[in-house]
This record gives sequence, C-alpha cells and structure tokens, in this order.
Amino acid sequence: MKKLITILVCAAWALTGRAGDPEKSVIQILVFAQPPAWETPWRSEPVRRQGGSGFVIQGKRIMTNAHVVSWARQILVRRYQDARPYVAEVEFIGHDCDLAVLTVADARFFADLPALEFGGLPKVRSTVVTYGYPAGGEEISYTRGVVSRIELEAYAQIGNRHLLAGQTDAAINPGNSGGPVIQDDHVVGVAFQGLQGLENTGFFIPPPVIQHFLKDIDKGHYEGFPHTGIRLAALQNPAYRERLKLPDNDLGARVDAMLPISDTTQALKEDDVILQAGAFPVASDATILYQGNRLGAALAFQLAQAGESVPLRVWRQGREEAVSLKVGPYSGDKATGYQHDGPPRYFVYAGLVFTPLSLDYLRSFGRNNNDTAHSDLIYELYYHRLEHPETARTEPVVLAALLPDAANANFGMRSRALVDRINGVRIDKIDDVIRAFETGTNTHDVIQFVTDQALECLDHAEAAKANASILKNYAVTKDRRL
Amino acid sequence: MSLIEKPLRSTGRLPALLLGALALWSAAPAPRAQDARRSDLATWEHCIVTVEVSRKQYDYYQPWGQGTRRVQKAGLVAGDREILTTADELFDRTLVRLQRGGRGTWAEGKVVWIDYHANLALLTTSDTNFFKGLRPAEFGRAAEGLDGGLQILRWREGNLEHRRAEFGQVTVREGQLSPINQAVMEISSDIQAAGWGEPLVARSRVVGLLTAQEGRNAYVMPAFFIQSILEARRKGQYHGLGHFHFVWEPGRNTATLAHFKLTGEPRGAVIIHVPNRPDAFPQVLKPGDIILNIDGYDVDMQGDYHDPEFGNLNIENLAVHRKWAGDVEKIKIWRDAKPLEVEYRLPRFEYTNSLVPYAVRDQEPEYLIVGGLIFEPLTDAYLQSWGADWKRTAPFRLNYYNHDEPTKARPSLVLLSQVLPDPYNIGYQDQKFLVVDKVNGRLISRLSDLKEALRQPLEGTHVIEFVPGDTVRRMVLGAGEAEGAATERVLSRYNIPAAARIR
Repeated sequence: MKKLITILVCAAWALTGRAGDPEKSVIQILVFAQPPAWETPWRSEPVRRQGGSGFVIQGKRIMTNAHVVSWARQILVRRYQDARPYVAEVEFIGHDCDLAVLTVADARFFADLPALEFGGLPKVRSTVVTYGYPAGGEEISYTRGVVSRIELEAYAQIGNRHLLAGQTDAAINPGNSGGPVIQDDHVVGVAFQGLQGLENTGFFIPPPVIQHFLKDIDKGHYEGFPHTGIRLAALQNPAYRERLKLPDNDLGARVDAMLPISDTTQALKEDDVILQAGAFPVASDATILYQGNRLGAALAFQLAQAGESVPLRVWRQGREEAVSLKVGPYSGDKATGYQHDGPPRYFVYAGLVFTPLSLDYLRSFGRNNNDTAHSDLIYELYYHRLEHPETARTEPVVLAALLPDAANANFGMRSRALVDRINGVRIDKIDDVIRAFETGTNTHDVIQFVTDQALECLDHAEAAKANASILKNYAVTKDRRL
Repeated sequence: MSLIEKPLRSTGRLPALLLGALALWSAAPAPRAQDARRSDLATWEHCIVTVEVSRKQYDYYQPWGQGTRRVQKAGLVAGDREILTTADELFDRTLVRLQRGGRGTWAEGKVVWIDYHANLALLTTSDTNFFKGLRPAEFGRAAEGLDGGLQILRWREGNLEHRRAEFGQVTVREGQLSPINQAVMEISSDIQAAGWGEPLVARSRVVGLLTAQEGRNAYVMPAFFIQSILEARRKGQYHGLGHFHFVWEPGRNTATLAHFKLTGEPRGAVIIHVPNRPDAFPQVLKPGDIILNIDGYDVDMQGDYHDPEFGNLNIENLAVHRKWAGDVEKIKIWRDAKPLEVEYRLPRFEYTNSLVPYAVRDQEPEYLIVGGLIFEPLTDAYLQSWGADWKRTAPFRLNYYNHDEPTKARPSLVLLSQVLPDPYNIGYQDQKFLVVDKVNGRLISRLSDLKEALRQPLEGTHVIEFVPGDTVRRMVLGAGEAEGAATERVLSRYNIPAAARIR
C-alpha cells in the first residue's frame, strides 16, 4: 500500500504573470497542537508547533486542511506580509476529506482580503501553481506544476477512506498543507499530502470534494462523505457474465460483498450488477468516466450528500431493475482509521488501564507497530468484523498498560492484550469493563484475555481499596473518560 | 509460557546457515586451539564422520518445480554399524554419503531410522570397510562439561576441528524441526557455520549434538534426551514424541490461585485452555485445573520442576522426559478445591494435527491447476516461500490461520495461491492468496475435495467461493471443454509438466 504523508507547511506559488494577486488571500497558519497519548490515554503528548497554509473564502472564513488544525490548543493566522498574528478558531472540520474552515473574531483580519473563487476540476496535463508557506523560509512560496493524474486516493488524515484527489509534480512540502492550488486565478485544489519516497509528487483536494464539504457545512454541522460499504468486483470473465445472463458488453460491476449498513443491504444483494450509479454508467472494471477521468465507481456515491439517494440501474436475476440507494457516512470502521474527534476513551481499575483497540493505539507502539503488536490485535482490528460479523465486538478493548502497585503486583499480563471477558461479562465495549468491575460481587475479579488465552485475577477488595491511591500515584486525574 | 496449539517456532534461519556451512566447509583450513590434546583428538577421529546429504528443494510457490540442495553434517558412531546425526536436512533426500577421517572416498549411506519431530536419525552403509577402525562414542551427562572443557568437534578440510565452547544455560524451547518443547543447552563458541549435528564433548564423552547456531550462541540437544530415545527405540517402546496438548500459565498470580481455592504456598500451573485431542482418548484435564505434580516432580509457581540433571526447567520438558507418545503421565491436580490425580496419556505429535501443517516431509508439494488457477494446501512450508523472515513478511491473514484450531468440518485449508493469466481466467489474473471456502457448493478442506467438487459444475460453471474477508468472495469460471482446453494451454505456455499432484 502506498504510504501517504500529510504535509504540514505552506505551498509555493509560481509566478504566472496573471493579473490577479492571490497571494494576498493566502494565509500562514501556526498551530500549537497537543494530540492524546493513546497508550496512556489519560495523558496528552507534549505541545507541538506546526505550520500550515490556508486561504480566504467567501463569508470571511479561512479554508485549510483538517490535519493542520487537528488537536489544536491555539491557532494563529497571519496575513500576507503582515507581522501581526490573529487568533483563529475552527468553525467546521471534516477529517474524512481533510478540510477545515476557520474563523477569526478580530474583524480587522479580513479587511481588504478578497475571497478566492473556486474553479472546476483541472484537466490532466494542465498547469497549476501551489501557494503556501512551506518549511525552509518565512515568506510565501510558489511552485508551478502539472496535473499528473486525477484518481481516488487514500486520504492520510484518517487513512481508511479514498476520495477524489489530484496529483501534481509541483513541489509540495511540509507546511504547504491547506494552501490553494491555483489555475487561472481560481482555486482548483487544496494542497494536502505527499507520497513518502516519491519526489515531485504532491496531492491536492479538488473542487468536487471542496464543494461537497462546503455544501455539507451549509446546514450548520458537518456529516461527512457517504460510504456505502459496497465492495464492487470487476465483472470481466465471460463465464461469470454468462451465468448472470448479462449481455457481453463492458457494462456492469458485481456487488461482491457489503458492510452491514442497513440502507445498503436493504437496497442491494450480493451478485447484483450495478450498471449505472447516478448519472454514470459503471464499467466492467468497476469504474466510471468522470470529466474525462476513469475513476473508481465509489465516486458516484461520494458525489451525493449524506442522506441523499443515488438512483441505480441494477442487473438482478437476469433483468434490469431500478434501485434507489440512500447514502451516508459510516462510522462502523472508525477504529481502523485515525481518529481526531476526541481523546480516547479509557477506564483505570486497580492500575489496569483499559482503552479501545484502534489504529491510533497501535501506532503508538512505534514505526513497526504491525510487527510489534500481537497478531490477535491486528486480526481483531482489521479482519474479525469482515470474517465473522456475528461475533465481532463493537469496540474491542485492550489492556493498554498496568500501573504497578502491590494490588496488581502478581498480575502476569502487563499490556497490549485484547480483553475477552471480565467476571464472566463479554467485553463488547469499554462500558462493559466498567460494568463488569463495578457490579462484581465475587472475592476475585477474573479477567480473561484473547491474547495468549491468558487468565488473571485480582483480589476484589484489595483492588477497590488501592484504586484511589494508584490514580493519585500515577497522576491519573480521572479513572475514566467515556 | 505455555504450549499452544502450535507454538511459534524459531525463525527460519536454515538457508543462511546452510549457505554458510557450504561456503566455509571448503574454505580455509581449520584453526586449532593451542591447548588441544592430540591424544584426545586421536580418540575422536574414530568416532566422528562426515555426512553429506543431497536433497530435493521444493518451490512451494511454483509447486511443480524443484531445485536441489546439498549439505554436509557431522555424524557420530553410536552403535554397531550405526551413525547418529540430526534429522535436519535429511528430508526429501536423494543421496546420503558418509566419509570417515575427513578425507578419502565416500560410502553411500542409508537412513535406517529417522524421527523428524525429535530431530534424530540413524544411518548406516553397506560398505563393509567403512566401519573398520571406527568405534562408538560414549555419552555423558551435561554436568560433566559445566565446569569447563567443552569442545565442539567436526571434520573440516581433512582435519578434525575442535573449538572450545562455554556453557550458558539449559532452557526449554521448541525443537528445531517441531514445536515440541524440550530441554536445550545453550553454549557459546567461536565456531562458525555450526548446528549440523556436531558433537559437543567433555572428558571424552559426548554431552550433546549441536542443532542450531545464532551468532556465537549455539543450541545443543542434550545426550540424555538422545540416549533415552535411542534406548526406548531399541526396546520397542518409542512411538514418537508426545506433548502436553493444553495451554497453561504459571501460578504466579496468588489471586488466581485463591480464585481456584488452592490452599498453601503459591505453586502449580493453571490450565487455561484444553483443545480437542487429536486422538480418541478422553480429556482428563479442563480449564481451571492447577497442575501440582507431574510424575513425581512438583510444579513451582513459575511452572518449573526441579530436574536432577539441569536444575529448574519448564514442565513442558516432562512430556519428553523418558515419556513418549501414548505413555501415561500421572498428574496431580487441584480441582474444585480438592487434590486429584489423573492419568494423562500423551498424544502423539503430528505435523498435520494443526490447521496449517507445521511441515511437510518427504512428500512432493500438492497442487491442482484449473485453467491457470493454482490451488495448494495452506502449509507452513508454503508460507516459508517468503524467506527467512516469513513470519513477518508472509501475508498476515494466511499466517494468522496458524492461530486457528482444526475442526472436523475443516481439518485443513486450500488456497488459491496465484493465477497464471489465460483468456479463460480473464478478470481474475490479480487474485492470489485466497482461502477457498466452497466450490460448486461443496466445502473444501483438501485438494481431493476440490477435485471432486470440480466434477460437479453448476449449470456449466464452477462457482468458487472464498472465505469472507477483505478480498474477493466469489469467482465463476466456465466448466467443461473450455476448462480442459485452458488447463492444457496453461500447462504448455508456462511449461508445467502436470496439471495436478494430489496424494
């Protein structure tokens, strides 16, 4: 899998000789952020300083990337060639599309700052200029490049969603993030990520995604991009097409599997063949043709807003049917992506720290986290739900750490272990951990792990007695965050 | 700390070791230790021989092909016309040769007995002159070398190489060719490319055979273990290695022991999982039992017993301590707040006891080609195609099947390993590493199931369903003439000798 990196810096801005001066509307953003410590979930990481870019849009607002302002404690913005910092606030943030809109309370900030206008999806091979404040200097920077391709790409901010993105060979470096990509004085993209190991490859968020985000927040809150949970498979083998009595043409992709999303599973069946999604014929390789670009058919659903229905033409049991599929965002797989909505949930009991299993948690193990994590954790996070949804847990819980104390000194399992049952209660989510301990009436608390099938006990009275002092000793201000 | 259905084995370092062995064997003359005593060496020259093994080396990714491999090992005269060596690299053998004195002619060797699980083999030769002047080595106890004087011996470039070794510790770890835990001596030495059956000697006695090496550390199968197996074999009492087919953890957690109402000092091993037995004998243990004593050896809170020769050792070693598959261990347990003695019959270890067989020995890889789709059994041998670091680099999901236990319905797995492109399979060329669930509605556990299912197409097509996951669930292919023609075409185009090899 390609490893995408977000780029915290500004964009460069090649001089194009145009009449407009977009740089005046390009904003330098300085963020003091403090992400949570996922393995010690009551703590936060040290405050870090990060830079990014943004630009003024209609309504006296600044558009930037979500990852520029994630976990921000303070956001400062500066105008072009103006030394004075202004305090900004996040008004809307969409982590799935890596976009955010900021406001500045001080009205002087927007004085004489024209809003940049949006253009359409740029053509492949056309020239664009990226504006921003990348690392390596303090002043605005410009870089010219060519639009290399338009595709669905993994958005690194959450990692488990693919949305439309443009690729350019313009240098996009840390700090460019959030800066506008300009063509003919119009914004045709927001610089947002690069590809680790590849030089001269940067990605920008194109207008269809930006407009989708802006339309979404028009209603006063952000819902997100639709995720239908349909796994479409190419349908190019003649035998399969013949078995489905499908005409021998290049139309139609097969519904191979579906996530348990009720709107999807009610509207479609496995082995349905989607011939058309919205306005787009679906080709046999599960793609659509969108503004001259052949792209994954998922785009046809992503163009709709949450709650809208996408009309489908479906081949089912030898004949064509019209189907309407209501689409919306899906959070059932949020643990497999990076989470930014809030610090992790946790519960501490007798020095045992429980927290939900998540990608963020695994990442806290370090660079080679997939190698160091117990395979049970990897399987539970990525595979269990797909293979055995009937036994999958809503929110798998791990023993993240053990805060040493006499009350737990003999506890053999130290950390990074998947919890199965506590006092006989199957742990489906972290609330179950609390319930299991707090309602336990036996002399001993019995904790069973999936990892190594281990079984450990605590003396219930000793544990309850030690709880407060352990929290105090380890500066855990609250025993839970739910 | 506990025996699991199929414990992790040591990393696949054999290829590197082997290459090193071959390279160094023919390199510079062996250095000699200054303090070696020539008279001792003269004695050992009559006990140690060189064993050369040529064998087939299968390519599990393209299972119709194979290469060859040759390795030289050490052999030890162990009895009347018997050469003892480790079983490592003797599988899939095509030729075994023996050489005495580190030089001269080779005699064709013959394997008279081999146990891969125990990693031991006895060889002989029909060459009547070979054993003239050779005499059996005498075995000793590991304790004889603990205070110094350990030497590793082998023939190298016509001379008997002897390298000083230092004793480190005795641990219980899985065997070199099986996951069965057993006592192993850890030593350190400057010897290079060792681990191929070289004898470790002390005071004119063999105290063990080297089975592996990692840097300066080498692992030695103790003489006691070897002797006890050879003795049991001679008496007809050896039926292969057994093992404890349950999962336990040390009784270190006093709260856990109290939960199970064990009184007295903390001790014992708490059983936490008992899988189905691979044989027909009844289960006598259950989760929550605490093992207090095995065949007279008390179990401490670390899960150790006190071994008369080696000191404290993990109780797993008691499954191979003068006890073999089918033998009964008398186990004292604590159950339901009371002591109880049970007779635990040791199940025989088999590679095929697990869902993903641990190894395949002396058998060509199975496969079945259907119009370019390559089906194979999922085995660790297949996963080892990813190289020495296969546990990290092989596809996670395939590897993770090692955690699953076999069931009656699904004792093993069949894999679509790759697709050789052909017009017949167009649209599926990129599919690979998919575990087959059903074909034409029939559950698939073996290639023979698949072959049978393919005889009964559904409305002129083969419907292949894969185990649900993050990969494609279903394929449909044409059956009948199109399938046959495609298979023939693929065999011809990709130079494959046969469409199937199924046992």
